[in-house]
Amino acid sequence: MSAPARRPAGQDATLPNPLVVCQAVSRDYGEGTARVAAVRQVSCGVRPGARIAVTGRSGSGKSTLLHLMAGLDTPTAGTINWPGLGGAPHGRPGSVGVVFQGPSLLPELTALENTALPRLFGGHSPGCAASRAAEALRRLGIEDLSDALPDQLSSGQAQRVAIARALASRPRLILADEPTGRLDAATGAQVITALLDVADEIDAGLVVATHDPAVAVRLTESWQMNDGRLAVTTHRANQPEERS
Amino acid sequence: MTLSWLCGLLRRRVTRLLLNAIGIAVAVALLGSLASFLAASRSTMTDRAARTVAVDWQVQPQPGGSPSALLEATRTAAGTLAALPVGFGHSTGLAATSAGDGAASTQTTGPAEVLGLPPDYRAVFPDAIRGLEGSSTGVLVAQQTAANLHARPGDSVTIGRAGLPPAVVRVDGIVALPQADSLFQRVGAPVGAQPSAPPDNVLLLPDQQWHAVFDPLAGRGADAPTVQIHAARSHQLPPDPAAAYTAATAAAHNLEARTAGAGIVGDNLAAALGRAREDAAYAQVLFLFLGAPGAVLAALLTAMVTATGSGRRRREFALLRARGMGSARLVGLAAVEAGVVGSIGTLAGLAVVAVITRTAFGIGGVGATAAVMSAAGGLLIAVATVLVPAYRDLRQVSVAAGRMAVGPTTAPRWTRWGLDLLLLAGAGVIFWLTGRNGYQLVLAPEGVPGISVSYWAFTGPALLWIGAGLFAWRLVDLALGRGRDLVGRGLRPVAGNLAATASAMMSRRRNSLAGATVVLGLALAFAASTATFNSTYRAQAEADAQLTNGADVTVTEPPGATVGPSASAQFTGPGVRSVEPLQHRFAYVGADLQDLYGVNPATITNATALRDQYFQGGTARQLLDRLASAPDSVLVSAETVADFQLQPGDLVNLRLRDARTGALITVPFHYVGVVSEFPTAPKDSFLVANASYVAAHTGSDAVAAFLVDTGGQNVNVVSGRLRQQVAGSATVTDMTSTRAAIGSSLTAVDLAGLTRIELGFALALAAAAAGLVLSLGLAERRRGFAIATALGASGGQLRGLIASEAAVLAVGALLAGATLGWVLSEMLVAVLTGVFDPPPSALSVPWGYLAGIGALTMASLAVATALTAGIAGRSSIALLREL
Repeated sequence: MSAPARRPAGQDATLPNPLVVCQAVSRDYGEGTARVAAVRQVSCGVRPGARIAVTGRSGSGKSTLLHLMAGLDTPTAGTINWPGLGGAPHGRPGSVGVVFQGPSLLPELTALENTALPRLFGGHSPGCAASRAAEALRRLGIEDLSDALPDQLSSGQAQRVAIARALASRPRLILADEPTGRLDAATGAQVITALLDVADEIDAGLVVATHDPAVAVRLTESWQMNDGRLAVTTHRANQPEERS
Repeated sequence: MTLSWLCGLLRRRVTRLLLNAIGIAVAVALLGSLASFLAASRSTMTDRAARTVAVDWQVQPQPGGSPSALLEATRTAAGTLAALPVGFGHSTGLAATSAGDGAASTQTTGPAEVLGLPPDYRAVFPDAIRGLEGSSTGVLVAQQTAANLHARPGDSVTIGRAGLPPAVVRVDGIVALPQADSLFQRVGAPVGAQPSAPPDNVLLLPDQQWHAVFDPLAGRGADAPTVQIHAARSHQLPPDPAAAYTAATAAAHNLEARTAGAGIVGDNLAAALGRAREDAAYAQVLFLFLGAPGAVLAALLTAMVTATGSGRRRREFALLRARGMGSARLVGLAAVEAGVVGSIGTLAGLAVVAVITRTAFGIGGVGATAAVMSAAGGLLIAVATVLVPAYRDLRQVSVAAGRMAVGPTTAPRWTRWGLDLLLLAGAGVIFWLTGRNGYQLVLAPEGVPGISVSYWAFTGPALLWIGAGLFAWRLVDLALGRGRDLVGRGLRPVAGNLAATASAMMSRRRNSLAGATVVLGLALAFAASTATFNSTYRAQAEADAQLTNGADVTVTEPPGATVGPSASAQFTGPGVRSVEPLQHRFAYVGADLQDLYGVNPATITNATALRDQYFQGGTARQLLDRLASAPDSVLVSAETVADFQLQPGDLVNLRLRDARTGALITVPFHYVGVVSEFPTAPKDSFLVANASYVAAHTGSDAVAAFLVDTGGQNVNVVSGRLRQQVAGSATVTDMTSTRAAIGSSLTAVDLAGLTRIELGFALALAAAAAGLVLSLGLAERRRGFAIATALGASGGQLRGLIASEAAVLAVGALLAGATLGWVLSEMLVAVLTGVFDPPPSALSVPWGYLAGIGALTMASLAVATALTAGIAGRSSIALLREL
């Protein structure tokens, strides 16, 4: 194992053909004395094929940064561009796959129906969306849960369905917020493996926010968030060997 | 803990608490308004009933009794304002000689009644006699008698006396006796033994003159004159018609007891109050039939509002239970919530009642009973809709189940039992059983203080409400369960490629969606049935008024006038659509004197509405065509057909007065059909013939009345103009005054109030049900919409999903509401047939109001959809941060 290369944060903003580029992005919540800076002056970028772990303590701004990169939130200052996606992801359903930290399945829909949603929102036919959803569930080894409602799933199963949903539309950028936070170590490892496999298969950029060093170590790049700032980025050279 | 829970509720769930309170306020306001109005209108009914009586008591001395002692006893009876003796003499017949066209002729009548009136009779009993022509004092001839005798003021009339030479008097005036039926009643005789009609011939004499004519007949058995004592009584009676009836009856009995049977009281006041108490009982019936469903609906709506938050409450309670809080404590928290919601809702509802009673009804304030009753109702609804579901959840739902985001999708247990079908069948059976009794809901037997109301009849509509509601639930459940794919296909125009997803989402939430559809459907059915019932009632009241008055405006010529049909032209003018002359004669059918109306069958309907139910054996048009088919055709009453064994085409010889000679002549007619009602005609037997034929045979085309059609518009303006035009030479009456004169206390007071209250509340309930249920249910799922947005759903796609739900709700509720509304209307009109006069042959559907209700519902749903879609579309960062 070679020593990881350490660079100041934000250098990747100059990457060629990046999927997403953040430039001096800040995001504040609240007003007046209650104002909280969740993300401060972050500049970063994600290229196709990137495998990035965003680490840091709770409240350090990991989730907010992922939401900003997913286009779900708007920065208070700075700019975000998605040159590799052809524009903001909100106008292109399926271009970004998001795995949320908490339960995010629609309770009225089965695992298969939930997984098919991004494709449907992308304007695909129900049949096409269903077949891609079934394929995604199969890839994660949970095709037998297709007809189960979210209330009938364990936390781990629900999280795997959520990952399947994020992958079903074969997104160019996958943003996963604590995807293993509610899973045991073994299941968490399986989930990360599935994420990496799919990301490899479709050559997507993968950004995983995590507390778990065992997860972070499986990704080639690590961004450390500290009090809203992207403090340090670390590159690993021998990631393929660590994957097993 | 309780305080912090309450503070938390007020801080975070204030909208839902307020909506709950509004639902309770609506129920309290509806109940309170109806109860207040019912209480206030009862006293109006008493006043109105008492005012309609011309002579309160007619005290008949019994053989051996002293009329003067009875008069004194009547005068001194508590509550008597005045008592006067009235003489009743029997004449063998009247005769009058009049100058015809050049030659004098003598007309005679059969037996007649001659009354002797004290000088101040008209002052004490102003409504007993109505002057038509000439003086209103002196010798007065009743209208029909004057027609029979061809008598005019100034003519002499000979009074035949049994065994004595006739007496001659000079006529001073012609009068009408509006309450001849009660004036000539057989005092003390039961209803069945009363004369079927008042005497044909009546003469009124000043008492001194009467004594001079009839005193010589004293002691001559059946021909001996009698004296009756007429009394005016104080109308300071208890406000409730039933109590007033009891008080009036007791006073009459008291007089009979004090005079030791020397006299029997013909208690006209109690009879009128008896009818009013029947009206009051019907008002109560209407309150229950038409008001109770509204209050229950408001409660259901409140329950729906609560139910849309039940998932949140279940999850919160499950969390608290998982952390160790006991069930009793949790029930206590729910009780606090129910108490707060119930108190706020009840107070707000009572405030609304106070405003409604002052502004809409003009009543001073809310009655104590009404306030207590409606407040109790409000608190009960709060307990039933907030506390009971919480308690039930705690008893029946496990912690794990409580944390489920989607409730069970299995059909409720009652669907397996077929409870809805059983209830519908029960409603049908009870309706059929009630129909066998002629829908006699209220029985107020004369002379009996108690009123019997058949509350059993309420069971039919009640079971129909519940059964139909559950059946609608079953259908929605079926459509969204087994018929989910079909629904999905139907939603494609709304949701596009998300149609199947939308139907899947609705399918999993079909219990709550079915509940919302049922509540909205019932609200629409309530609005539709109430409006249709009220419209039918109004139409029948209008028909009754038109039947009595003849047309929108009627110009009635005085007795003996010779105005011909050509005078119609003088009554045309602005606001008048058409004028139709109506002949009136008296004709003898055998020995029976009947009214004969001469019409032009081709044009009579231009000025007055002839309904099919006025005729038998065909429609109005068919019977008029039969009348027009031959000039000598005549329509007769069913009673005459039975009495004279008539077959269609039979020759009927009528004796009519020839205007040229004044003598009775025989005119041949042919019977072609049966008429049971006709504008201006009396309730008993009468005839309808071709005016031209009658005129040709009697030598006179004199018109009795001109029927003026204004199209229902500007009635008062036209009648005012015509009154000025005729300047007292004829009488002008209009629908407005007739409606006020003939309307029962129920027509005039209660239904108008009920209509205002109920149609307003029905509108509010339908709009609230549509908007609230949809938007609240969707607001509960904002998190879901946030997820959908995060997954890339566009605003249009979110709108499509929400609109799909609104579409299913609208289609289901409109279908359920229209069907149930129609069935309920038919049932209500049939069951409440006792309040109709005449009974309707078909429903009168207020299409405008119904279209308005439909449009308001759709608009309400559209607004709720747009608002919810707007909320859902706004990317909620707070919600996303929770994901």
